[in-house]
Amino acid sequence: MISVTPKPLTSQQTIRDLSTLTPDQVALKIQNLNLSYGDKQALHNISMLIPKGQVTAFIGPSGCGKSTLLRCINRMNDLVDDCHIDGEIILHDENIYSKHVDVAMLRRKVGMVFQRPNPFPKTIYENVIYGLRLIGEKNRRVLDEAVETSLKSAALWNEVKDRLHESALGLSGGQQQRLVIARAIAVQPEVLLLDEPTSALDPISTLTIEELINDLKEQFTVVIVTHNMQQAARVSDQTAFMYMGDLIEYSDTNTLFTTPAKKKTEDYITGRYG
Amino acid sequence: MKSMNTMNKKNSKNKSSSINVKEQNSAMVSDSKKWFQSGSPWVWLSAAGVSISLISVLGLLWLIASRGLSYFWPATIYQFEVNDLQGKNHTVIGEIYDRESIPVSQLAHSNMVFSAETKMVERILVKTGNRELVNLDFRWLLVPQITKTTTPKNVVVIERRTNGNFYGFIENVILSGKEVGKDKLTELVTRVDDFQDQIETLQKSDIGAINYQLERLRLKEKKLKINHELTSTKQAEIDGEIVNLQSEYKKLEQHLMALRKQVARDQMIVKTMSGKTTTIDLENVLSVSFANQLTLVDKVGVFIEKIGHFISDDPREANTEGGVFPAIFGTVLMVLLMTVIVSPFGVIAAIYLHEYAGNNALTKMLRIAVINLAGVPSIVYGIFGLGFFVYVLGGSIDALFFPETLPSPTFGTPGVLWSAITLAILTLPVVIVSTEEGLARIPASMRHGSLALGATKVETLWRIILPIASPAIMTGIILAIARAAGEVAPLMLVGVVKMAPTLPLDGNFPFLHLERKFMHLGFHIYDVGFQSPNVEAARPLVYATALLLVTIIVALNMSAVSIRNKLREKYRALEH
Repeated sequence: MISVTPKPLTSQQTIRDLSTLTPDQVALKIQNLNLSYGDKQALHNISMLIPKGQVTAFIGPSGCGKSTLLRCINRMNDLVDDCHIDGEIILHDENIYSKHVDVAMLRRKVGMVFQRPNPFPKTIYENVIYGLRLIGEKNRRVLDEAVETSLKSAALWNEVKDRLHESALGLSGGQQQRLVIARAIAVQPEVLLLDEPTSALDPISTLTIEELINDLKEQFTVVIVTHNMQQAARVSDQTAFMYMGDLIEYSDTNTLFTTPAKKKTEDYITGRYG
Repeated sequence: MKSMNTMNKKNSKNKSSSINVKEQNSAMVSDSKKWFQSGSPWVWLSAAGVSISLISVLGLLWLIASRGLSYFWPATIYQFEVNDLQGKNHTVIGEIYDRESIPVSQLAHSNMVFSAETKMVERILVKTGNRELVNLDFRWLLVPQITKTTTPKNVVVIERRTNGNFYGFIENVILSGKEVGKDKLTELVTRVDDFQDQIETLQKSDIGAINYQLERLRLKEKKLKINHELTSTKQAEIDGEIVNLQSEYKKLEQHLMALRKQVARDQMIVKTMSGKTTTIDLENVLSVSFANQLTLVDKVGVFIEKIGHFISDDPREANTEGGVFPAIFGTVLMVLLMTVIVSPFGVIAAIYLHEYAGNNALTKMLRIAVINLAGVPSIVYGIFGLGFFVYVLGGSIDALFFPETLPSPTFGTPGVLWSAITLAILTLPVVIVSTEEGLARIPASMRHGSLALGATKVETLWRIILPIASPAIMTGIILAIARAAGEVAPLMLVGVVKMAPTLPLDGNFPFLHLERKFMHLGFHIYDVGFQSPNVEAARPLVYATALLLVTIIVALNMSAVSIRNKLREKYRALEH
């Protein structure tokens, strides 16, 4: 443990509504999270609460650590060789970084969608049920049902229902990204992490995905990383602004964009840098 | 500094010399420079390189194919009247085999008289057959000595089981000692053929099976004796079985004798080129053809039939005649076994190196070692295979599992299994390297996508990575097959023989006999070309066998390539 004197949580002061959350309204609790790649520290003492059933956006200039923070939530940073993490992320009263946590189980609860659509070179059907196959689900009826509900939730069903058994690589970029979302929600996660999900897509596909995100929060807690402030403003309920590995400001989206508390936030959202 | 000075001096010298020349020079320089910079010299060079490679490959195939295939084409049979040095006339019948011009000086010792202008004399090599009658079945004829060349219609080529071809004329056919006329010939030859087929199946499968069972019983008895478990009841059981088998053997033997008698019944009377008459047993006859009466269509038929026989028959006459079926079978079986062995090992090794081994000095050394393995001469692998697999591994297997056959070895002697394993080691680096390259090409997003859905590393490897890497794995296997199918040197040490009495796959339990020795096309080429008692007769066979080997390697490769292309098609969209 690197001993970091816990600063009085500056962010907490700005989270006006968030500070009043009851424990069962909280999906994730990040506490004093520090992360370094080798000698380079990428996240400094991040603490925040992510509310259940809402969309939380991370914004900030490139390299500010927003994707890194997102990847901490399902431990994808474990794949990076010299990555060192301390602090806690609490999901269901349990630190996901404690030793006895099964990472595969965690990732089933915390799904993730990446920047570029990455469907597997299998059929659309097989893509959606990939996670279920991993749990050993073999019942054809259950699988069929899961495919239908997931694709419907991802607003893709009508476009692909007649070619479920064709290769997923034949879909367009926007369709692929929605397929990947369907694949992630087929395993019924609690939290869905979206890492710049529309950055590789055209404006129309982007719009579809944004509408989809709005529907998804009915069922899941959504955390989205975006470099597009308008997008954050459109889709999210809470927004966190990060800069150089620090969490500068975190509050409900309206407040953050209309009356930012910090100078840095204001500079960023008014386009003075970034 | 010094060099700069000298350069300056040179320049000034140039300046002082005629301006005209300098201008011309610079114009030329700039022209050739432009041409050089345009890149066309490199285009021409690459075009030249490609054409040379293409021409050599096509030339190689053309040479092998033309020489190899002409062996099967029914040749015209000529009758030459020759006036030799002593002034005697005689007749030579046969097919023209080769033709060359030689300088007169080479013939100085032969007392031949040539006009002063003649420098070169043409001579032809004639295959005259009838080996048992004239000792030489090939002879050179000097073209100036030939007084008359004809192609008689009634000349016959008789292909025989022993002593090669017979060329001559049919006089009569004898049926059970009575002359019945030539017309009966075809009918009688077909009859003998049928009987010969029956004899072959009887000998190979029926009698072979009984012998195999008798041998197993003998070994069983010996094993029980060694283990001191041979009770009188067991002994009686075995003896009973042996008696049964022997009586069955007797029956089959009688049947065989009867067939043999039938086969030996008829003969034909033939006349050779020197006018002598002799008899040939029909038993000894494979086919009779009037080569000069064949139309083009007939010839094509004979050509295809001969190729069929070449591919499906066993060799005869110390491999110089007959077919090469056991060699084809051995080559393909060995290559398939090798593929089955090398693929899992190569893939697992590549997965370890790429996915699990840390990125450190040891891994680098391992990689260098693997790559260097590919450069070790194949004969070294042969020695290793003989020393380790055959003697150490095979010896231990014999001692552990087959003590009853000792001192004659079962696995402790070269065989098809050891050949396949030796070649698997030889081709392992190829599979490892190309699999690793395939693994490295897979986008990280595939792994991350799978891991993010809760898959473990092993699940990700098995369900996502390996399928995507399969075209690269197939490429490795293709290269391995290409290398292994053409390899001969190590096989001579670990399992190939000139003549294998049985195939490694037959109807006797356990069907696949991995301990058996086998024949191989590559070794067959060497054996026929260099170890044969009749080099002239064997020469076209060398080409034909080489053509066949190339065809088989191409076929094996093509099937692997088509599998790979199908896989590639499936994953093509991934290659950004």
